[in-house]
Amino acid sequence: MTKRKQSDLTQSMKLRWDDANDFDRADPMAGLSHKDIAGPQLDRRVVLRLLAASGALTAAHLMPGAVAPARAASGGTLRAGWSGVGEFRTIDPAQINQVLLFQIASNVMSGLTHINPALQAEGDLAIDWEVDASGTEYTFNLREGVTFHNGDAFTADDVIYTYQRSKDPQKSIHSRVVANISDVEKLGPHKVKITLAAPQASLLVKTLERSSGRAMTIVSRGAIESMGLSDYGLRAVGTGPFKVTDHQLGQSMTLERNEAYWDPDRPGVDKVIITPIIDPEPFAAAMEAGDIHISGGNPIPPELVDRFEQNPDLVTSIIPGPGFQGIFMNPWRDPMKVPDFSLPIEELKTQPGFMVRLAIAKAIDRDLYNRQAQFGRATPAYGTINPAMGFYYDTAISQTSEQRSDAEAAQKLLADAGFPNGEGFPELRILCTASTRRDCLVIKNILKRNLGINVELDVKDFPVLLDDFQTMNFDLCRLGSGGDFDPDDGIVDWVQTASKFNGRNRNKDEMPFGWFSDPEVDRLVAEQSVTPDPDARKALVQAANKISSDKVAQAFLYHPADVMVWRKDVNFPSESRIPGLVDLDRVTLG
Amino acid sequence: MIEYFLKRLLGAALVMWAVATLVFFMLRILPGDPLAAMLFDAGDLGAVDELRIKFGLDQPLYVQYWRWFTLMLQGDMGASIYGSRVPVSQILAEAAPRTLSLALLSFFVAILIAIPAGLISALRRGRPIDHGVTFIAFLGLSMPDFWLAILLILLFAVNLGWFPAIGYVPMSEGFWPWLSHLIMPAIAAGTAFSAIIARMVRSSMLEVLKTDYVRVAYAKGLSPRDVVMRHAFPNALIPVITVTGIAFGLLMASTVVVETVFAIKGLGRILIEGILNRDYPVVQGAILAVSGIFVFVNLAVDLLYGVIDPRIRVQG
Repeated sequence: MTKRKQSDLTQSMKLRWDDANDFDRADPMAGLSHKDIAGPQLDRRVVLRLLAASGALTAAHLMPGAVAPARAASGGTLRAGWSGVGEFRTIDPAQINQVLLFQIASNVMSGLTHINPALQAEGDLAIDWEVDASGTEYTFNLREGVTFHNGDAFTADDVIYTYQRSKDPQKSIHSRVVANISDVEKLGPHKVKITLAAPQASLLVKTLERSSGRAMTIVSRGAIESMGLSDYGLRAVGTGPFKVTDHQLGQSMTLERNEAYWDPDRPGVDKVIITPIIDPEPFAAAMEAGDIHISGGNPIPPELVDRFEQNPDLVTSIIPGPGFQGIFMNPWRDPMKVPDFSLPIEELKTQPGFMVRLAIAKAIDRDLYNRQAQFGRATPAYGTINPAMGFYYDTAISQTSEQRSDAEAAQKLLADAGFPNGEGFPELRILCTASTRRDCLVIKNILKRNLGINVELDVKDFPVLLDDFQTMNFDLCRLGSGGDFDPDDGIVDWVQTASKFNGRNRNKDEMPFGWFSDPEVDRLVAEQSVTPDPDARKALVQAANKISSDKVAQAFLYHPADVMVWRKDVNFPSESRIPGLVDLDRVTLG
Repeated sequence: MIEYFLKRLLGAALVMWAVATLVFFMLRILPGDPLAAMLFDAGDLGAVDELRIKFGLDQPLYVQYWRWFTLMLQGDMGASIYGSRVPVSQILAEAAPRTLSLALLSFFVAILIAIPAGLISALRRGRPIDHGVTFIAFLGLSMPDFWLAILLILLFAVNLGWFPAIGYVPMSEGFWPWLSHLIMPAIAAGTAFSAIIARMVRSSMLEVLKTDYVRVAYAKGLSPRDVVMRHAFPNALIPVITVTGIAFGLLMASTVVVETVFAIKGLGRILIEGILNRDYPVVQGAILAVSGIFVFVNLAVDLLYGVIDPRIRVQG
């Protein structure tokens, strides 16, 4: 993007913010001005407008007494069970590679910002911030008087240390997340300037966010040096509401209230004991027996949700979760071969390989799949952009996408591709893991019923599946993503040619790209990344999402539901209910 | 005796080395790149390569083996590839007491059920109580431990609330908390072994009860209790000890299902999860620990023969 264009965009954004007055549900700023939303010190009017705009506020919330406010600190010990995990191998942000780990880290560590339930950035260790006209210089005023759990004072030096550590691939697995940051400069003991190589729309909600970015989750230099890396990973020291006081690897992690936390009203409980529980049935039994008060970790298996909902002692909360799941189709293998996705869609639809891909995508009855595989809890997916992203989600895509479920149209496409009623169609193998085996059986049955084609399951351990996926050694592959809080997570990571998952280890002489490549999508993805104006970015995001859906980058299946369960004596306020996260600092017992 | 002991010790060390070496190479034959899996989400090719060099996984296999072997001889089993590179010795040291606690208690439960059941069954051969014990033994053998474990949880934790459903508490936090967390896992893991041992006690006792010296003891007018407990039972113990030794070794290594159901992170789960993740150092360390336990339990059993039967000690 040229400097001129960037400048125009920034100017347009500034004008828009300055001039915005009218309430508009389609406007994520909810008609608020630039001054209104600068920094995190939002007044009640602003908060209500933002919540209403994000859909997080309903009429019920406006009725006095309809929503119980979080009680004042009640103390006590909260016992949490992390589902589907055997141990917490690290909560060092530089090494975290699973959502369930940054769910814990988010309670122990802080970022400069933290997302709220509407996935908007609020100040965490930053009090407020300013952005320059070019959109590449962010100046943050940091919270004063904050200390790490080991007593060290938090200053601008810690932000710089965290950045230096994160950009070094030897020390952090997230160096790519901070690749666009060209400099972090100390302007004072509690003031830093972050300079970007190019404007980045996701900076505040992703890179600097205390949990989802991980790269700029602030770590304690003193603690790392004194504890060593492996011990720091098990008992990380941060500035968050809880401190780690005990960690029996694979058994439990104990968090205790950080008495010096900058918000004196938080946390609401004295202690949290988190137990990893890998198997669903013991998890359910422990929940029902009262051994655990609240759930976290990997998504709760859908087959347990009805059971929890029927239990009068439990509260089940279901909201759209971040992420998507789908079936990747190898475009380098017959009969799904499509060596050039850049052709116009109408031209692609004349090619047998594309017809087969589209037939498979359309043959999947998402509602049936959702009922049989997800117990009706998920949202049918037609792209990577998920409902948890709220503003960016295209609510019409289920009607407009070429992938929309239609068994008859799918059969016709397959017949036109030379396989009437599936006759002569080769048997395909679908890669899955033990945990997605059931999903794949449902897919197999639906494809057999609607297209008359045979799909065999190829169940592999996750590392083996990844090897095959990244080398493009598959016909079909059942995979997806979780923890997608920003459109970058969906489209930068998953549909552009340079995606880190796009057949990274393939034979590049034989396969110029992995499973999808379209120059127009690449252009839109690149442009949205540097477009700070939300409306303009939304248009670009939805356009990229739509093209990748129409051109069947993959056959999208579903967006997961974020299910949390807690016992009735736990007060889990709506402010803590952030999709994909389990923020325990506002939780009280009583 | 000392020479016998040293010979067995050397044999045990050789077995452990052979097992560990076999596992080292077999793991590397398995498909699946642990670093790619670990960094899947990060997607940083540079980081994958950096870590491959850092962990020495870019080196030829024989170099990796020699490095691992020499470090292991110095007591360094390496560190987990995943997360914050927690030393394998630390992972095993934290898990071993859990598995040992569970195995010992399961063993105790198994013996507690098996010995009386086997004795009663042998002494009341062909009577209803023998058939009853046999039926229960087969039931115990046939019942999958995970199923029994879930039944126990539903009954004693969810419905009655007597015991915690999941988790482990070290004995340092109190005997009852430790026991209350382990009693159900121990019953679940020990039941099948109790059935095996009970059958072995029964058949061994029946053999001994047929012998001349037992008939002589009865002829001399000794009470049935003295005949059974002083003459028959000690002599029936030799094959039983063999089985119980193997059972204890198996309990140390094979309680993974019970550990999973009760959310106890023991050696079995470390091994299984390590294999699934291709976490080479952890699998190698865990295999070494498990094979070591198995080999040394068998060694202990062999030595115990000598204590029970002096003839074996003399021959040894």
